[in-house]
Amino acid sequence: MSSTPERTGVDAASRWPLLLLLASAVSWLVVAGVLSLLAALQLREPAFMAGCPVLTYGHTAAIAETAFVYGWLANAGLALGLWVLGRLSGEPLRAQNWALAGCAFWNIGVTMAIVGIAAGDTTGFELLQLPGYVQPLMLFSYGAVAVSGILAWSGRLRRTPFVSHWYAAAALFTLPWVLSVAHVMLFRAPARGVMQEVVAAWFEQSAWWIWIAPLALSAAYYVVPKVTGKALYAYDYALVGFLSVLIVGGLTAGRHLVGGPFPAWLDSVAVVSGCLLFGHAIIVLLNLRLAFTGRGIALKFIAFGLLCYALLVIVDAATSFTGVAGQAGLTFLHEAQKQLALYGAATALFYGAIYYAVPRITGRAWLSGLLVRAHLFLAILGIVALVACLVLAACAQGRGLAQASVPFSQITASTRPWLAGACAAQAILLLANFLLAVNFFGTACELSKIAPKAEFADAAGSAAS
Amino acid sequence: MKSNFAFFIGVFVAVLISWGMLMGANVQLGSLAPYFDETDGTTHPEWMPGIAAQGQLVYRDLGCAACHTQQVRRDGMGPDLARGWGDRQSVARDYIYQPAPQLGNNRIGPDLTNLGDRKPSAPDSDDLLNLLYSGADGMPSYRFLFETRRIGAGAQPSDKALSLVGALRPPQGYEIVPTLEAESLVGYLVNLRTTYTYPEARPYVVPKGQNPEVKPAAAAAAGGAK
Amino acid sequence: MSAGAKRDPRLDQAAMSDEALLDAHERLVGAQPDEKARYRLLPIGILFVFSGLILFAGTYLNRYTAHYSGVVYNENSKGESSQVEAKPDPLAVGRAAFNQVCITCHQATGQGLPGTYPPLDGSEWVNGAPERVIRIVLYGLNGTVHVEGKQFNATAMPTFGQGVTNSAYNWSDDRIAAVLSYVRQSWSNKSAPITADEVAAIHKQVGDHKPMTEADLEAVK
Repeated sequence: MSSTPERTGVDAASRWPLLLLLASAVSWLVVAGVLSLLAALQLREPAFMAGCPVLTYGHTAAIAETAFVYGWLANAGLALGLWVLGRLSGEPLRAQNWALAGCAFWNIGVTMAIVGIAAGDTTGFELLQLPGYVQPLMLFSYGAVAVSGILAWSGRLRRTPFVSHWYAAAALFTLPWVLSVAHVMLFRAPARGVMQEVVAAWFEQSAWWIWIAPLALSAAYYVVPKVTGKALYAYDYALVGFLSVLIVGGLTAGRHLVGGPFPAWLDSVAVVSGCLLFGHAIIVLLNLRLAFTGRGIALKFIAFGLLCYALLVIVDAATSFTGVAGQAGLTFLHEAQKQLALYGAATALFYGAIYYAVPRITGRAWLSGLLVRAHLFLAILGIVALVACLVLAACAQGRGLAQASVPFSQITASTRPWLAGACAAQAILLLANFLLAVNFFGTACELSKIAPKAEFADAAGSAAS
Repeated sequence: MKSNFAFFIGVFVAVLISWGMLMGANVQLGSLAPYFDETDGTTHPEWMPGIAAQGQLVYRDLGCAACHTQQVRRDGMGPDLARGWGDRQSVARDYIYQPAPQLGNNRIGPDLTNLGDRKPSAPDSDDLLNLLYSGADGMPSYRFLFETRRIGAGAQPSDKALSLVGALRPPQGYEIVPTLEAESLVGYLVNLRTTYTYPEARPYVVPKGQNPEVKPAAAAAAGGAK
Repeated sequence: MSAGAKRDPRLDQAAMSDEALLDAHERLVGAQPDEKARYRLLPIGILFVFSGLILFAGTYLNRYTAHYSGVVYNENSKGESSQVEAKPDPLAVGRAAFNQVCITCHQATGQGLPGTYPPLDGSEWVNGAPERVIRIVLYGLNGTVHVEGKQFNATAMPTFGQGVTNSAYNWSDDRIAAVLSYVRQSWSNKSAPITADEVAAIHKQVGDHKPMTEADLEAVK
């Protein structure tokens, strides 16, 4: 079986859960885009919709984040994780009904969470704004979808796993563990005082480093060698890269706790962990370096995502030091780092993998090349503009805060232009994601004779090392 | 790593390591007891009065922590002390009696840790209610926390009616009264103070004789050579 | 894949099958020896990077965690003992205790009430031998007493010492020493402070005692 046609039977047989997950993801992405634009507008113009008790800025920001992370990132990550595991297992996905049911209930959970937050049940914890009563539903839905992936991983035909196996399988296990610990310590038997913030910070960092990032990396590690036709460089170190992020990821929790009412060692551990992640980033970049010289839409997005990933590691480590956090902490820089991670790194890597995967899942090429190129351009422009505007707003804010005589009205005035830029960036991103949604649904709905049937070239039998 | 079981155990142990750090922090922070002051026989911190505890939940529900922090940083780490947000840095013991501490992570508005203790004068309930109704630069108005109602014929205006000026004044015969949510929120805000200086909250000073900046010989030489 | 053809953005082609992908990477991590025995710079490079990071990590954790103390908030501190003071300022303790209890009789000015409560300001008992004034506070004072030439009848100074019969306040030796030091340095008094050790010594020496009288105190040398 040295030369298999590119759209394998695996894809055709597994398409329903994957399509449902991707459809949910793309829909949530547009919804999150609308909500993020609303939040950005409220930040720039506090009087905007101030009369609506359901949509105060605190609510809107929480809802936008929930829709983005639990709606878009989770669904896309699961879709790509299941797809990669399924393909590498050599067999169609098993327990597909579980995955379908899990996805449906997950989306119901996210909707309930959004309604709950709007009604005032927000938890106040970053990346865990889901009200407490929704979390068990999310946990079980995720487990249901994960069952399919775990079976694909454990039942793989070839015993030696590939690096994507590690990352995807780990992500399927870690979120339930981390979420259940946070659920117990924050809602069932609430920890005392500031310990709640420590748990929330640990959850936030663990959710990023050992749940979302592994799903993104698993997809990237699969797509890059597939498109370039060359094996990964320095692959023997991929295991070290994997273990380093798994062990050290949660330890960076102190990054959010610098200078606050927390024992000093939490931040020192975070500094050290942030620096150890340099090793991880170097290994990931070395392995995937051919993404930077490759051609095609998928590799372009993956290259951009990897650049953001590397920048993120550097910035996160730098802002853990107390000297830096004293100047830059508790400003918009925090939001900029969050957007760099969630949009710049994870979302861009997901975009790249989705552009590669959808033709294979549906058996059709993307509906419109123009929409693909427009999305590429607008998404990268929007992400760069968003992060840059937030960083500049943080600089203006930090400068104003640092001098005790500067009143807050002046600080607000100095950040307004940059927040307007952030609004514009969110609008660009909304447009880009809307184009992606149109393209996706056009392709997936098999509006026949509109989406061209894919002409898969016969993949080479053996790869050059 | 061909064995699935070995992989599973490996991932579990890796997550256990950071979970272990969390448990260590929990042992330290979860066991914090109130501090008994020898000199005047009082314990600190004090419980928040009932309306203040309710107010903290209103604060959380409205999402105020999105723009306001409640953590004073130490001298040298930001402008907190210079801006009069507190006399000392916040420590964990300040928050042990709060059901849902809202530390916040972005200072779009001022820090609120010691709002009830601001010098020279702390805002009182009326100031805060007016601010919530009217909004300010960068802060939205929260009109939905108030009721505009008619003053009945021959009735007196309510004690709790806001006294507003200019364009915000209600029409003749009407008054603006805070709802219970607004009252609890303001009750919480005026009770925010962390004035007791625990031993661990005292600023750290480099012990004498360990000044890392000046080398004694060099300093003497510099002074003598002048 | 023809090099000249423009890539169709609607479909990224694969250059490797899944089988080939898994094969190639299995070979890379497999135990086959490398026939060409090339010297690779990469393992050394990564080894250096990781060693450097671990060295940094160890050094940083050693210096900046204050032994993982739960009460140290400044990472520059070397540990709890250098940060957390055990004893509060005695003068502050003394002032607070005076203002809570003693002030009701001896007044804030230390003048007392003529005929009823003796003054402390300028009193020869306060500024005199520590052994006498310590006994006054530890055990209380009853009966007639003469202060600055004036007579005070039927005094009833309460007992403050710990473990003394009928002690109303059970103050520790530290606190008694603090109050005495405060009183001896307030108003026009300028006497040396009294240490907790002196109070403890007398407390131990005398043990339990009923309230002192003027005669008892004058007998003390």
